[in-house]
Amino acid sequence: MGATGFQPGRILLLAALTALALIGFASGDPGILSGANLYSMAVFAVEIGIIAFGQTLVICGGDGGIDLSVGAIAALSQVLMGMALQAGIPWPASVLIAAAGGTVMGAVNGVLVTCFRIEPIITTLATMFVFDGLALVLTGGINIDLTTMPQTFLDLGQGSVFSLPFQLLCIYLPVFVILIALQHRTLFGRSLYLVGTNTLSARLTGIRVDRLRAWTYVIAGLLSGLAGAIGAARLGTASPTASEQANLISIAIVVLGGSSIFGGDGSVVGTAVATVLIGVVNYGLSYNDFNPIYQAGVMGIILIVAVLIENLASGRNWSAVPFLSLAKGKSSG
Amino acid sequence: MSLKAGARPDKLAKPPASAHGWVRAAARFAKGREGVLLITLCLLVIVISIGSHGAFWAPVNLNNLMVSAAVTAIPAIGMTLVILTGGIDVSIGSMLGLVAAIGGKFFEAGWSIPAVAPLFCLIGAAFGLVNAAIIIGGRVPPVVATLGTLSIFRMCVFLVLGASWITMIPPELTVIFISDRLWFLPVASVMALVLMAVFAFFLRSFRLGRHIYAIGNNEEAARLAGVPVARIKLYAYTLLGMFTGIAALLTLGQSPLVQTSTGTGFELAVIAAVVLGGTELSGGRGTILGTLLGTLIVGLVNDGVVLMHIQPFWGGVLLGGIILLSIGVNQRWPGRGGEATE
Amino acid sequence: MTAFELKNIVKSFGGVKALKGVDLQIESGRTHVLLGENGAGKSTLIKILTGALTPDEGTILIDGEACALRNPEHAQAMGIAAVYQEPMIYPHLSVLENIFMGREIAGPLGFVRRDAMRTSVRPVLAELDLPETLLSRPMSSLSLGYQQLVLIAKALVQNARLIIFDEPTSILSRAESQRLFAIIGRLRDGGRAIVYITHRLEEVPQIGDRVTVLTDGQVTGAYRAGEFSETTLLELMAGKKSREIEREIEEHRDIAADAVRHPVLTVENLTHESYFADVTWRIPGGVITGIYGLVGSGRSEVALSVFGFLRPSGGRVLLDGRAVAPADPAEAIAIGIGYLPEDRKLQGIFATKPLESNLTSNRLGAFARTLGLLDFKELFAEAGRVMARYNIKAQSSRTMLSTLSGGNQQKGLFARWAGKPFKVLILDEPTRGIDVRTKDEIHDFIRDLAAQGVAVVVISSDLKEVLSVSDRIIVMRDGKVVDEVAGAQMTPERVLGSAIGAGKAAA
Repeated sequence: MGATGFQPGRILLLAALTALALIGFASGDPGILSGANLYSMAVFAVEIGIIAFGQTLVICGGDGGIDLSVGAIAALSQVLMGMALQAGIPWPASVLIAAAGGTVMGAVNGVLVTCFRIEPIITTLATMFVFDGLALVLTGGINIDLTTMPQTFLDLGQGSVFSLPFQLLCIYLPVFVILIALQHRTLFGRSLYLVGTNTLSARLTGIRVDRLRAWTYVIAGLLSGLAGAIGAARLGTASPTASEQANLISIAIVVLGGSSIFGGDGSVVGTAVATVLIGVVNYGLSYNDFNPIYQAGVMGIILIVAVLIENLASGRNWSAVPFLSLAKGKSSG
Repeated sequence: MSLKAGARPDKLAKPPASAHGWVRAAARFAKGREGVLLITLCLLVIVISIGSHGAFWAPVNLNNLMVSAAVTAIPAIGMTLVILTGGIDVSIGSMLGLVAAIGGKFFEAGWSIPAVAPLFCLIGAAFGLVNAAIIIGGRVPPVVATLGTLSIFRMCVFLVLGASWITMIPPELTVIFISDRLWFLPVASVMALVLMAVFAFFLRSFRLGRHIYAIGNNEEAARLAGVPVARIKLYAYTLLGMFTGIAALLTLGQSPLVQTSTGTGFELAVIAAVVLGGTELSGGRGTILGTLLGTLIVGLVNDGVVLMHIQPFWGGVLLGGIILLSIGVNQRWPGRGGEATE
Repeated sequence: MTAFELKNIVKSFGGVKALKGVDLQIESGRTHVLLGENGAGKSTLIKILTGALTPDEGTILIDGEACALRNPEHAQAMGIAAVYQEPMIYPHLSVLENIFMGREIAGPLGFVRRDAMRTSVRPVLAELDLPETLLSRPMSSLSLGYQQLVLIAKALVQNARLIIFDEPTSILSRAESQRLFAIIGRLRDGGRAIVYITHRLEEVPQIGDRVTVLTDGQVTGAYRAGEFSETTLLELMAGKKSREIEREIEEHRDIAADAVRHPVLTVENLTHESYFADVTWRIPGGVITGIYGLVGSGRSEVALSVFGFLRPSGGRVLLDGRAVAPADPAEAIAIGIGYLPEDRKLQGIFATKPLESNLTSNRLGAFARTLGLLDFKELFAEAGRVMARYNIKAQSSRTMLSTLSGGNQQKGLFARWAGKPFKVLILDEPTRGIDVRTKDEIHDFIRDLAAQGVAVVVISSDLKEVLSVSDRIIVMRDGKVVDEVAGAQMTPERVLGSAIGAGKAAA
């Protein structure tokens, strides 16, 4: 792996913070460390964690890359899946529909950003509108009840294997391993790091920048779709307003995990550890009966603090340049 | 260096052909972004009139439309300024909720409107200042910073309200801003128009306004030319906050209720209006007139969806589609830099 | 009357002396031409004059009094203004605003008085022969030539006593240049001091009252009008070592007579609307073809078109006799064309990535096995091999590139391209900004490449380099090929003369 984005220092810091958080919560109520609670923690974190993986790749690609529509993709995907299930389509195919749907939505983002050259923020802001809206239109605002679906399907989100949540062991971990390989050990990943570091140099070194970036959006879409499917299975309901917070939280996790918001740095490993930390914090808050709004608020604080610390640490002298393509307007793009 | 943005062919620039000043101005307007928007606006009005079987023209509807547009328009002024300098603020929805919550508490405590109204502005400005501090002082990219404050403000709304709602809003609020009319328009709308006119004038004819454009055009050059870049950006965010505060006050006039979800999604409508109006996200280009037209279009779309009995959820889809379309159109008919063309 | 004087200016950058004690006297009402090759120190001198840099040693005197210019604003206040090659403009704002930004005429509340500004700029416009209607137009709608004039207007509005022009004609057409000269003449007659930097020899007699030649950071000649001839200037610009260079040339291999007739790469009548026209290059294998020309001559753009980064509007490219049109650099690399970019920092390196990443970035595909997984063992081994082969000094191949010295960074960039077999390898300024010893090393590597049969193209603005390394030289000027020399014809005078159009009547 070497110096291509893997940051042991940051990961250790996050691990330490996680321990601290656990201790903190435990001192308030040791019950939180029970097996059942840790289990719930893991369950909770898996979905946002998968989405954050996708966000990691998009942000790694640099040049203002970001995806604000991930939550909406998850919602629309699970709605499509729910509708398919209700129509009697067997659940494996329906889950596939969720994944495929997410992939298509990601592709839409990718095309808009690379072919039409619309800035990622505004593109994904708009597609977030569209996907959320479509989910609402298709369901009429009403959640689709899935509790009558076969147990094997519901087990996707509710089952357990070796007393660990199914989705953790059989979906999150394999995805994690695949993505580590993808980001650190494949042609794709290495090229992505180069693209995020210096777009022009990457182009001149024979890397197909646009294609690569488009793929990151496709992958993010696929992963979001998958997360949506899991979430629906877990709750037994496909909701058009699912994962509303996912946009913000996923970005917070990615930045916290050490990825530079400008691209070219960071790793899914950092994202995973940050997911754990966020999962612990979130769960601790809800365990202590804090309204979910607090979770979002804490996420916001963490996000800002993470970037502030990053700025201090790297001594970067970025003025308040907007988070847009810095090379906008030049011939190379 | 070879790779700079397209070397221009060596052609001598020709001064424009002479014509009557107003003819030229009209032609430029029609061809430009604003012209396209106006046409779109008219088309929408026609479509909605027909589709709603005339219900569009009912005074109640028009009134609502004017008020909603005003509520969106006023912060849109501030958002235009912010985006012109090259920044952005996606937190104003939560900001609105928070200002409404705090202000509402004062109303609950029995304070009178003349006492609380200025507070709305001040508190909003303070929150705008918070954003500015994080972005300019902390050097956090505007999107990230305001994504963060979006949640933080929303959390604070909950902190202020608890789980309860505020319903004790003096009904005079509604009367003053919504029902009362000044020259056939609700007071709120008049406010919006006045503010827009003032700021359009400001942007066009005052040094500070021109500096805002300069920063968006070429921040480095502006800095070297002695323009106080950081200070101006600070003003922009703070102003946006203050305008959001005003919008909060008006929202309470529209529906005298504050809940934890008040203001959710508001920022998206405002940004949509501004972007639609031709202001480019990269800064340096855009006009208040464009923002006005954009706001009206956004308002019309929302209103039309309701009137034509389209499932309300289509509103979001339409808005997103409009934004994307408008970016494409933007590339064809760019907004003006608001330069003084006489 | 010496209004501005630089005395014994010394300036170093990280151990390399850019200016070695330069004296310059600038008189009001005179146009002072500063002549010199790339790297002679002209831009450093100008940056010192405009307050952007402070000299390590030496003094600046204004009207006889020592004055340390703290920063650009200070220099501006002292009446020094510069018009640069790359205009710093506000594209969407009007010309009037571009002129007055930051120093608008405004009322007490900040109300901008456009009429007052127009009035105050009127005499300046008259002096520059610009129509008043120009003021309302958006800056971006102007051609570069007019933009430049607007920037001159800006300098005049700031009451500049000294106006420095940095290679102004490099972006102008012939006619626009003539207009500029007329304007400069008028400015000078109005009592201002003008410093005019150029390496275009034919311009000197047109506008120069005084000429100072700068070579390698030192003043090698100072003349008044009429005291110099083109040949003297040429010799001075080329440097004292031109005799040595000529000797080296005789040691070159003789190019096989028919090699040029069977080139590996042919660029045929290639045209690009904005950069170059009707360019024909014949590049044989096993030979080092140098492309010499001044900045703006279009060499890099031709290379980028061959490389698939720019799309030419006419003409064609032939590789081994077959027409090719790579759609992007990836395709070009796949068919055997390589390009080392001109600007290491912006276009070449990945500063925050390790050396091995930088070395292998253009051939990652070769290390990809099943499922795209990279064979890191092989990759690191290859990186190590390349490191050793090109003598890149770094702790290991995993060290971050930005920690390496400039010379080693450049070697790393070079190794990225040289370390992979190409049919054609175009090197754009391969030794820019590095120390002499590394320069020589890279030159040796280049010769090795040619010995292996690669068709090597070296684009360079360094006359000495291009003469000593190349077996033949193509000279470009203003987007066209103007000369082709080999063997005994490759003299500094001939090459430099063709590049700057010496000996041709100014028309």
